[in-house]
Amino acid sequence: MTFLELTEGPLWYVAATVFVVGAAWRLLGILRFGRKPDLSVPRASAAGGAIGAVIRHSLPRHGFAERTAYHIIAGYMFHLGLFALLLFAAPHITFIHDRLLGVSWPALPRWGFIVVAEVAFAGLIMLWVRRICDPVMRQISDADDHAGTWLTFLAMLTGCLALQEGNDVLRGIHMLTVEVWMVYFPFSRLMHAFTFVLSRGYMGATYGRRGIAP
Amino acid sequence: MILSRLWRGLAGLALVLVVAWAAAAAWTGALDLDHGAWAQNQGTVPGNVHGTSNDADFWRQIRRGMPGKVSIPNPQAGVLVQSQGDNWRAIRNGPVLFYGGILLLASLAAIALFFLIRGRIRIEGGRSGRTIPRFSLTERIIHWFVACTFILLGITGLFLLFGKHLLVPIIGKAAFGVIANASLQCHNLFGPLFIVGIVAMFLVYLRDNGFNMVDVRWALKGGVLNSGHTSSEKNNAGEKIWFWMAVLGGLSLSVSGLMMEFPWWPTLELLQWANIAHVVVALGLIAVAFGHIYIGTLGVEGALEGMTKGEVDVNWGLEHHDLWAEEVLAEIEASRTKRRSDGYVPGVQQGSPAE
Repeated sequence: MTFLELTEGPLWYVAATVFVVGAAWRLLGILRFGRKPDLSVPRASAAGGAIGAVIRHSLPRHGFAERTAYHIIAGYMFHLGLFALLLFAAPHITFIHDRLLGVSWPALPRWGFIVVAEVAFAGLIMLWVRRICDPVMRQISDADDHAGTWLTFLAMLTGCLALQEGNDVLRGIHMLTVEVWMVYFPFSRLMHAFTFVLSRGYMGATYGRRGIAP
Repeated sequence: MILSRLWRGLAGLALVLVVAWAAAAAWTGALDLDHGAWAQNQGTVPGNVHGTSNDADFWRQIRRGMPGKVSIPNPQAGVLVQSQGDNWRAIRNGPVLFYGGILLLASLAAIALFFLIRGRIRIEGGRSGRTIPRFSLTERIIHWFVACTFILLGITGLFLLFGKHLLVPIIGKAAFGVIANASLQCHNLFGPLFIVGIVAMFLVYLRDNGFNMVDVRWALKGGVLNSGHTSSEKNNAGEKIWFWMAVLGGLSLSVSGLMMEFPWWPTLELLQWANIAHVVVALGLIAVAFGHIYIGTLGVEGALEGMTKGEVDVNWGLEHHDLWAEEVLAEIEASRTKRRSDGYVPGVQQGSPAE
């Protein structure tokens, strides 16, 4: 068994299982907490408050727009870039078609891939640099934050290094870093990819029921 | 009867020989089949296909880079042999590689020697416990952004430049092929980000990096080599020189790097010069960056804090950048005086009932 066969075979299945089961376990655990019964008369819709909070917290807020512009811009650069790479890179679409879903869709052209990768890397570096430079961010950041950032960086970097697809070792290294990232994901703050909806929604529902838009 | 058969046999043999000779003559293009190659004998092309031109002249013209005509969009493809490529390869793999390697080793050796002689430059008065702001968040973010991309580009660039000579004997061609392939992709990917970073750095840091007489006096006193006190502003002459080296070198790396990333734009000759310039400037910047990293971390106590936390100890400021530190301290004192005159009492919230 070659290195590539190992990473695309057994290791892939192990990582995918840990990722799916672990993330589902964490989400079910959060949902099982439920909500304290609120006996007060609702002034507005809790569901509307939840949806509104998820949307509002994704946009710059007047009064804070200038102060939050850096991390909002960098955040969107990184996250949108990452999702574009994940879903529209030609090798990923081939992998999804052949190994996962059996469906495919149009891929980014090579120049589009490179532009998106540049944007995503710039965003990720900007976010990490802010994490180490901003006194408050530095205080509230721990090893998990840095590990998550670096693993994501390595997964993206190895993916770009394997871009030519002419080298099995580079492709295998990319698969391995992605698998490490997937195994780490459920046990770390990388889970925010799923939990941000729950946390914002919970807060939005609680306040929305009282007629407040947080 | 016998004579008749013999005659017919000889006639048949003659016919076979004539047909064989005719086929061979048609194949070779020569009536006398023992004739040598035409190009070797007379210097003309068989069959006079190219007229009366001399074949040696013809190939000499090609060797000198005379362009021909091509039907594809790239006119540079009309040059069959680009002889300047030999010069480029000889320069890149010869003096550039050799003296570049020496430069990097000399830089590291000089730093080690400096450390052995001077040791870590401590804050003479010790830490005061008070800090003053040195670099804003914007300045720090841009510095580390450029640093991240520069380090990635430097490492991958050194792999590409020296790897064939240093890594292949150790790890073999196949493994180096993987590293070289990955390094090239990484280098091309982070190059544009470095350009964005260096432009931002120029715009943000420019105002503190103009030269004046203070810098001349600092340099004449020996700069960082002087163990005594030398006045300087927010940035001393050494830091200002490094800033301009980084900006101008970065600009040169950007232009030459873009040429190589879009190789269909410049001519081949320009590309070769761009490559040499790219390597020479990069090696120079890496060699100086070693010193910059040393002084900012191990070499000078308290220096790194300015670029991580944004603040430095007051005593560090007064020892290394006294003119700037005194200015900042005076501003802080003036601000305090104003707040006191405005009725501010430390520890009491303005407008609270206790006031």
